[in-house]
Formats: sequence, structure tokens, C-alpha cells
Amino acid sequence: MSEQQKYKYENDYKSSEDRNKGASRWSQCRKRGADGILRKSHADEEPGKDQRCSKRSESFTTPESEGPVSRIKNWGDEVEEQEMRTNVRRDFHRYRRRILASDFPQRDRKISSGSSDSRDSRDSKESPAKGDIETDETTLIRRQKQINYGKNTLAYDRYIKEVPKHLRQPGVHPKTPNKFKKYSRRSWDQQIKLWRVKLHAWDPPAEEGSDFQQIEEIDLGEIMDFELDVETTENTESQCSSSNGAAQSLQEDAFMETPKKMMKIEDSDMS
Amino acid sequence: MDSAWTALDMETQTMLKTAIKDPKTVDLEKLSNAVVEHSLKDLSFCKDAGRMCYAVVQAEAQKTASSVFRRNLLNRLQQEFIAREETRKRSMQEWVCVVTFICSIFDYIKVNNSPIAALVDPVYDCLFRLAQPDSLMNEEEVDCLVVQLHRVGEQLEQTNSERMNQLFYLLRDGFLLQEDLSSMTRLLLLEILEFRASGWTLSETAHKYYYSEVAD
Repeated sequence: MSEQQKYKYENDYKSSEDRNKGASRWSQCRKRGADGILRKSHADEEPGKDQRCSKRSESFTTPESEGPVSRIKNWGDEVEEQEMRTNVRRDFHRYRRRILASDFPQRDRKISSGSSDSRDSRDSKESPAKGDIETDETTLIRRQKQINYGKNTLAYDRYIKEVPKHLRQPGVHPKTPNKFKKYSRRSWDQQIKLWRVKLHAWDPPAEEGSDFQQIEEIDLGEIMDFELDVETTENTESQCSSSNGAAQSLQEDAFMETPKKMMKIEDSDMS
Repeated sequence: MDSAWTALDMETQTMLKTAIKDPKTVDLEKLSNAVVEHSLKDLSFCKDAGRMCYAVVQAEAQKTASSVFRRNLLNRLQQEFIAREETRKRSMQEWVCVVTFICSIFDYIKVNNSPIAALVDPVYDCLFRLAQPDSLMNEEEVDCLVVQLHRVGEQLEQTNSERMNQLFYLLRDGFLLQEDLSSMTRLLLLEILEFRASGWTLSETAHKYYYSEVAD
């Protein structure tokens, strides 16, 4: 992991309150705090920290990039960021309206459509009062990207066609994690992982060629019951058949595994 | 679909039509390059090319949930923008096409109902260039400048009013102080000054002054 990524990851493990205070040494370099407010000039801050920041190189390398990546963004990336930001904001306002609406008892309790279920708001354990909604835009955008990876799969397409929302049973059917609820980074990443594992049950049947020999009719329901904590360190450019088509340009998260891998593990466990 | 696309060669035309119906089957990167290539040669195409491009962008978003066409189109445009000064030296026509095309994209392609933020400063940069003294001597460039301001001036001002103010300082200066401007140029500048001062519109009498046929 590159230096920048490592520090960023450490920062994200902090509680959400700390995030906004900009307490990390790296956050001093940013023009805006996590709450969006422009920071004062560096003159106010400790010279030591400043020096550290100014040593950042012109380009950086990440595991995903093929070489040094310039800090100058291209228009293609910028417009996608703008789109993601405005989508997240729109989702946020919708969610907040729904939450506020469900605060008032209504005669018709329709089950809502959309990414976050308003029934959750009545769950006293997780009830998002106004202060309990995740509002940090960077976090929301990161979570949305992870959700998008999952939704851009053939498995997800097949799932939503097969099981309409009102027929979904909790526990049995995968449910998209609610990006507006407060969770720690670990908790969120785990939810995403489990959600994606569950979605694999709707992977399209593999096609011709060598795949046939490997695939037996494994009851994926059994696998779901295991508390599998499978971390792959493999580079996930080996795309599983379920993520063809639409999302080829998107990159898979390192946590995601394919059905074939799961079957191999199952085999090795049994032997 | 408007007539702009008939200016394209047959292959690109077909690709375009197919892209709108079935984006998955088309090489969108190739299509976006073809569109930009053509736009650099054909000014009348540029003016409405944005609308056509937007049709492809929307088709791709709705049918495949991806944005390959938009991304490639914009990155290609960015290359043209970065090289604009050399382009201007090499070919005035191409330079004018670049500006017209960028403004057309800015005008038509929206992101969640807002203009593309990444294009705001580049568009301004182009207009500022056109408002320089050497460009004001050239009627082709002045024409381009005022046409773009008519089309996207209001939107541009909403996204960044300060730069619009600065642009108009330049235009006033040019109008008042620059000698040897042709009367056509002065007419165009006066009209755009009035147009903006009236809130990006012209009063009826002003419109009559600038746009009526002069009876002999």
C-alpha cells in the first residue's frame, strides 16, 4: 500500500467525531476539513507538520495505477466525481425526508423503495436520530463506490429481477447496506463483504469450456451459513463471470471472491 | 435528431445511431474520437454536436450504467484544450471549432441537471483568449466569442460571476480603447455588452436595431 493510502486508512479507523476535527497530521495539509469548511492558512499550524506535507511528491503510485499518477485530474474523472457527489447528496436528502416522515406516525406504512429501508428507523437499536446520520461526504462517496461495485454485477441484476422488494425476507435475501447509518470502517467493510458474498448466489450459471469440470451443483445455502472470513490477496483483475459487461471499467475491491474460489475452499475443508 | 449528424461520414453516422439504440455493441471510445475529430473540421457541426453527444451519454447511462463515451469525449477534449494555443497558431478555423465544440458540450451535457463543473474554467479561459487584443482584430474570433456568450453566457455567469465580470472589463476596454477594430467587430461587441446588461436578453428596440433588415 502506498504511504498516502496507509495513512488515509489509519485515519478512517478513527471514530466519526474525530474525523471532523481533522486531528490527523495529514488532514492539516488539506484545504478543507472534513466538514467542508476552508481551513486557515498554514501560518497557524506547526511548522513541523507543514514540512511533512510539502514533501509530497508531484505524482504517486497506487496499487491500482499502472505507474505514477499525476495530481492533475482529467475531465473524465472530474465529471464522474461530480456525478457521484451530486448523486450522494440527492440520496441524502431523500433519506432524510424519509426518516423525518417516518418520525410521524402514519396510517399507511408502505414499505419504501430505494436504498435504505425506512423500517430501520423504527428499530430502536439503530434508530438514526438527526445526529446519527452519516454526513461525511468522503465516507458516503467511498461507501457508494463499494455499493456500486456490487450493483454492477450480473448477479445483482438477476437477483433484483428474481426477487421483488416486497418479497424479500431478512436474513435470506441480501440487503444493500445503508450508507447513511453510522458504522465504523471495519463494520461497514464487513457488511459489504458479506452482502457481496450473499449476492453470489445469483451468479449466472457458468458457460462453456474448462469451467464445466469444476462446477458441481454446490448448494450455496450451506456456504452462506459458514462464518467465512476469506481474504484474498490475489489481484482481482481475474474477473469472475458475474461482473462482465457493464462494469468492466470498474475495479473490484480486494475483498471480493468468486464462486470458484469458494468451492475450492469448500473442497479443501472437506478433504 | 437534428441535421448535424448528417455532416458526419457514413460509418460514424451508423455508429452513432447504433450507440443510441444499443450502446453495448459500439466501440464508444472510437466513436467519441471520431466525433471530436470531425468537430475540428466542421464549424456548423460543432454548434449542435453537444446535443447529439448528450443523446449517446444518456443512452449509455440508462442502458449500461457506464460512462465510457462521456469520459473519453471529455478527456479527448481536454487534450485539445491544453493544446489550444498551438492550434490557434496553426489553424484559426480549428481553434474556433475547439471553442465552439467545448461550449456546445458545456451547454448540452449536464450532470444531475447541472453543468459540468470541470468545464467552467476552461470555457472561461477560451473566452478570455478570444477577448485578447490580437483576437479582437480577427472577425472570425470575435464572432465566435459573441456567439458562445449568447449561448452559454448566462449559465456560465451563474457558475462563476466574478470571471464573467472580468471578461466584460476586457470587452469594454477592447470596445473603447482598441483602435483599428472593424465596425463589424464594434457592432458585435456593443451588442453583447447590451445583451448582458439587459440580463442576457435584448429589449425589443435593441433587437430591432441590431437584427432588423435595413431598408434601402
